[in-house]
Order: sequence, then structure tokens, then C-alpha cells
Amino acid sequence: MVNDEITWSEQLYRIFEFEPGLRITLERIATRIHPDDLHMLGEMVDRARRGAGDLQYEHRLLMPDGSVKYLHLLAHRTRDNDAGSVYTGAVQDVTQRRHAEEALVQARSELAQVARVTSLGVLTASIAHEVSQPLAGIVTNASTCARMLAAEPPNIEGARETARRTIRDGNRASEVITRLRDLFKGKDLIVESVDLSEITREVIALTLGELQRNRVILRPELDDKLPAVLADRVQLQQVILNLLRNASDAMANIEGRPRELLIKTEPDGDEHVRLTVKDVGVGFAPQEIDKLFEAFHTTKKEGMGIGLSVSRSIIERHHGRLSATLNDGPGATFSFSIPCGPATDAVDPGAILTAAAMDAHHVVRNL
Amino acid sequence: MMSQRSLVSVVDDDESVRESLPDLLKEFGFDARTFSSGQEFLNSDCVGKTQCLILDVAMPGMSGPDLQRELKIRRQEIPIVFITAHRDENIRPRLLEQGAVECLFKPFSDTALLEALNAALQVNWTTGVSRRRWGNTIE
Repeated sequence: MVNDEITWSEQLYRIFEFEPGLRITLERIATRIHPDDLHMLGEMVDRARRGAGDLQYEHRLLMPDGSVKYLHLLAHRTRDNDAGSVYTGAVQDVTQRRHAEEALVQARSELAQVARVTSLGVLTASIAHEVSQPLAGIVTNASTCARMLAAEPPNIEGARETARRTIRDGNRASEVITRLRDLFKGKDLIVESVDLSEITREVIALTLGELQRNRVILRPELDDKLPAVLADRVQLQQVILNLLRNASDAMANIEGRPRELLIKTEPDGDEHVRLTVKDVGVGFAPQEIDKLFEAFHTTKKEGMGIGLSVSRSIIERHHGRLSATLNDGPGATFSFSIPCGPATDAVDPGAILTAAAMDAHHVVRNL
Repeated sequence: MMSQRSLVSVVDDDESVRESLPDLLKEFGFDARTFSSGQEFLNSDCVGKTQCLILDVAMPGMSGPDLQRELKIRRQEIPIVFITAHRDENIRPRLLEQGAVECLFKPFSDTALLEALNAALQVNWTTGVSRRRWGNTIE
């Protein structure tokens, strides 16, 4: 690879739409690669020069007629000679498959949107029904009470009885609200010894495909020597997943700069560990910062505004802090820090929107 | 005097409605009886005497519209005022089309209820055939 000598099959010439026999150079290849994916070519060449064993990339070509092709490249270092490494690989035109996938993703997200709206609609209707029943009693009793008092002579005993019922129905309505809160209240924390970098790696593995599809360049900087934390693995992973998705979503419409996403774990003083997710996306308005973590506040067309609110309550249940800052450049940084020490009394009865609600959210999302 | 009061029957599975409505109906000058299900009403001795039925739409077992159909089959055409906690605007025209006098969404005001009851009793006075049949049943 030192001399960058490249030999192509006929088929590859056809995919790139080059004259057969044309000398293939990296520069010539670069003229076909989609401008937004050019960084991948540089990265691939860097990795090859460093002698990586396998190379695997998905990138696009921008053809002279403006059409876009999707290619899947797989290469393996087969032998080394004096001049350096030799890679043998295959390139597949996956344009059809990619179009089918995109149609599927589109259909799936429309379906998810419908499902989310439906489930919210169903929820709203059942709340309305549950509250309307005692309200009907309240209004009827209060009307009766007023009529009894207005009668000549006033029916004091009857009025007193209907007033008593009004109070009782009022309490019933408030019990409905309490039950509703219980419904949203999460399960208790299941605390175990957790390596924040390791669980972050698991989340990354889960979302890599999604991030690649959104053409996000993920830069993990995970500290392998982090002290363990006592925490609920699944709940923390939900927070990490949520921050990653938000960062990816925030960059969905960014063109003209690489969609870089930094995810970093590090010690934070002697007794805390910190996870940071930094994107170069749309960010948020400075005055919005107080509202970011409120339930039902959202900047996304399809969002419910639950993710960050739930994430913060999970982190607070771990006696930690989740915060957001605007970057000096474009985008935003979200970061949480949790103590390494025991989190035995971590269950906070005040946290009403927690993992259960978020589970439901993700079930719908991943439909 | 009491015997001349019109009887309004309330069928609703919700207890707070069954508890609160009779007092208001008595304030309006009606006689009132309550039933927690359509079956309980059908089994009672009030079917022939009821001049207006205040009927909940959604109930476990026999629904409000189910009871309405059953009464039609039995040729007991009592004017019906539906009440429902499901604020679904589509349901109202459907129920009115099937012969209901009114459909009120819970919570409803006392004046809205009184208007509906007056309209229902108006129906009573104008449908002479029904009146005679009730008269016979009462005897």
C-alpha cells in the first residue's frame, strides 16, 4: 500500500463508470466519492498504511450525472511484501439494498410515529375517562348543594350531605392522579458493580448500525481503567443510549461538516466517574437550557420530550448529576457524573418518570 | 302529590353518579331510581313506569346502546338521555340518530341536564301511543 498500486476488476470499472483499463489512483477514486464521505477514504488509507488486518466501509459515490451509489467495501490484508501490505478485497454495489433499507426505515418510523400517537391517544382517553367520572359526581353534587341552599327554606342538612360527597369525589379524582403516577413510577434500582466504559461499549455496539446509517462518525474515548460504580446497569445504559440517539438526531440535518460524535468516559475527581457525549449538531437556544430536562419539552418533531427528563431522574437516583452545555463551536455536550461509592439508598420516591416510562418509550420507538 | 312526579331512572355503573344524580333530580321535581346495570333495570318494576332514562353509554356487560336495543325489542320506548365520560364527538350524532333525546358528556351542568330532561318529557307528551301503553302497564 506504500506505492498505492491499485488493481481493479472489470466489474469495479463498471461500478465507478471509469473507462476500462484506466489507471486507478486514489485521486481518481476520490473524484467519484461523495464529498460527505471523503473522510472515510482518508481514514481507510491511513488504517491500511498502519497495517490494519481488515477494512470494512460503507460509503457513497457521487456519479457525474448526479446519481448516488452505495458501496460496501470489504478488504483483508493478504500478505506483506517489501513495498508494504497487500490488500485483497471486494466491493459490492448495495444501492438497491440501501434504498430498500431506507424505505423500510422510513416505513418503520412512520409506523412508530403512528403507534406513539395512538398509545398517547389511548392513554389520554383513559385518563380523561377516569377523571371525568368523579368530576361528574362533583359537578352534580355541587349543583344540588347550591339548589338546596337556594330553596325556601334552605335545605341545610341536604346541602351538608351533598357538600360531603363533593369532597369525597374530589378525593377520588385525586386518587386517580396518584394511581396514574404509580403507573409511571419506575422499578427499584438493581444495583451491581458496573464498569461505565464496558456498558458504554455495549450501547455503542447496539447503535453502531443506526449511527453509520445517519453518517455519524463516532469517536469513542473510553477509559479502560475506570473505577467500578455501584449502579443499575440497564438504567444507566438507557441514559447512554438516549444521549447517543439525541446527539445523532441533533446532527441528522447537518451538511457541510463531518457529523462527529465524541463519547468519552473518565474519572471525575477521586470518587466520581463521568461520561460525556459531544455532538456538532443543531444545539439548543441558550435560554432553552432550563427547559431541556422538563418532561414533554422537545425540539424534535417526532419526540415526546421524555428522554432527557427520564435520564436526569435516573442519574439523580444514582446520586449523580446530568448537565448540558453548548459547545464553543457548533453543537452541544451532555455529561453525567456519578459517585463510585455504594448507592444503596439510591431509590428516590420523588422520581416519578423513570425507567418504566422510558422502556415503554423505547419499545414504541423500536417497533 | 308524590305519585304525580315523573319517574326518571338512572342506569350507570359509576357509583358517584348513582349517588349524586337522584338528589339533583329530586331538586328538579322528579322521582328518581338508580340501577348499576341494564339487567338490573330490566329486572326491576320500573321499566313501565320510567318516563325518562338517564343511561350511561359504556358499562361492563350490557352497554347503554345494548339496553336501548333491548327496550326497543320489548316495545318499551322510553326517551333516553345518554351520559358518557368518553368525550368522543362522533358518538353523539350516532346515538341521536338511533333515537336518543340527548347525549351529555360528563361532567355536565345541571342546566344542560334539565334541558335534556324537559326535551325528553316533551317527547313523552307528544307520543300519545306510548303514553297509552305506559298507562296500561301501570294499571
